[in-house]
Amino acid sequence: MNFLTNISIRNKLVLIQVLTSVLVLGLFATIFIVRQINDFKTRKALDIGSIAGVIAQNSISPLQFQDADAEMKMLNDVETVSPDINFISVMDRDRNDFAVLGKEKADSDDYSTYRNSVGTFFTDNDLIVVRSIDNGGETIGKVYLEVRLTELTRMKVHMLRLATALALLAVLAAFLISIGMQSYISSRLLALVRVMRRVGDTGDYRASIRDEGSDEISVLVKGFQRLLEQIRENERRKDEFIGVASHELKTPLTNVKGYLEILNTLEDREPQREIVERAFANAGKLEKLIADLLDVSKIQTGQLELNLTDFDMDELIRDSIASTRMLAKDRSITQMVRVECTVRADRQRIEQVLLNLLSNAVKYSPEGNPIEVNAVVSGDEITVEVADYGPGVPGGEETAIFGRFYRARGISQHISGFGLGLYICRDIVNRHRGRIWVRNRPDGASFFFRMPVKGPT
Amino acid sequence: MKKILVIDDDVDILLLVKLALTMNGLDVRTLSRWEMIPETIEEYAPALILMDISLGTADGRDICKGLKREALTKDIPVILFSANNEFQKSIGECQAEGFIAKPFDISDLVARVKEKAR
Repeated sequence: MNFLTNISIRNKLVLIQVLTSVLVLGLFATIFIVRQINDFKTRKALDIGSIAGVIAQNSISPLQFQDADAEMKMLNDVETVSPDINFISVMDRDRNDFAVLGKEKADSDDYSTYRNSVGTFFTDNDLIVVRSIDNGGETIGKVYLEVRLTELTRMKVHMLRLATALALLAVLAAFLISIGMQSYISSRLLALVRVMRRVGDTGDYRASIRDEGSDEISVLVKGFQRLLEQIRENERRKDEFIGVASHELKTPLTNVKGYLEILNTLEDREPQREIVERAFANAGKLEKLIADLLDVSKIQTGQLELNLTDFDMDELIRDSIASTRMLAKDRSITQMVRVECTVRADRQRIEQVLLNLLSNAVKYSPEGNPIEVNAVVSGDEITVEVADYGPGVPGGEETAIFGRFYRARGISQHISGFGLGLYICRDIVNRHRGRIWVRNRPDGASFFFRMPVKGPT
Repeated sequence: MKKILVIDDDVDILLLVKLALTMNGLDVRTLSRWEMIPETIEEYAPALILMDISLGTADGRDICKGLKREALTKDIPVILFSANNEFQKSIGECQAEGFIAKPFDISDLVARVKEKAR
């Protein structure tokens, strides 16, 4: 029965209904056929029994007078009236054949088996009636009649054909009806499964499912709905907390950064200056982390909105490369191909994507290796590539790296951050109705994002 | 020296901004209580107002709207700042001349203030 658990509920329902219908129909058909056959046999036995009676009545005087010719004449007459009689034998008191008439030679086995008994017998193909000939309470002989049951065989074949055709028709009808009916039960379950799958795949708990009713499926649906609501409530509280927390964190950070910046302008002695610069750089990192947390909180609550403007993509690429160079002074970052393209998008957000990809390229490829940026316009879409010459993305993780809180495995040195950068990038690109992906090359990794030039409409 | 009025309920920020702007050759008056704005403006006559949006019991945007309605104060440029970037969208509505997100770069802040001051 184990395989049953693996087939869909839809098919299970169809299977059950078809099997039940076939079983019921088969039972009724069998009863009907058996009754038909028995009726036929009973009728035939009665018919032949009465013919045997007639023969017995008319054989009394020929037997008494030992007039075999008269007997034969009478038997010939009977045979003319009842042509399905195959073999007639009349025996005298000592069971010696008195008169024998047979179209074909009687089945000698049957004859020798049944000639000594009295009654009605059915063999495989024949009906045999043996009757004693009585005259005034005294048995003076016997009639043996054999009828070949060709009609019954024909009837059996006919019924079997009919039953097979009916059975096939019933299977087909049951199948069609159950296909139609199963949805009544399965559709609600399947709807629940669909929502569960979607929630499982996307992690989007905003899904909602309704079910009016009070059966078990309803209980299941309502239970799941309640669970979703609870998760949503928890998510909402968490997002609210992240929002408030990052907002609160920003205020003291503003002060730390500001004072350090002022200190930096005042300080011109080398060791102190470097200390202040390092403190300032770390305040910058903290700022970026808080911004990421805030962005994720916005993404989760659906509040990340795009501020669309028209801008020059080439200029944006040059700006982003320049900003990255400030942080990674010894890196060669090159724009390989110039692109003449005005894009309608959220400039700040697309810059965020580019900066993220560039800083990842700096972080995840060895020092001294170059980084390249390419942009190509084809049709209504622009594709931007950031290529590094590092170890590439671990095999099988090409999708996972765009998930929330993803941390690269198998990289020895610590890379700071929450693992939110690519998750935010993916959301930003998706909101522009674009796509972001990574491809490993033999000598490094290439991150691509593609989006419509005319904006996400 | 151009006179700048800075309003924020966080005293640390006030001190920081005052330090930064003074070092860059600007005259600065700070105010941690928004209720004092009208008399301070009257007495100090600033060339620019730098104001936080979250002022505890008041919203800097509402105050800005109020200033822009008054004949005496409507020509004084106002720059609002906030830790909440979302507020940037509503700046046009209250007719402020600029918005600076916290945490800000001091150099950026100074440049913006100098640019907008009358």
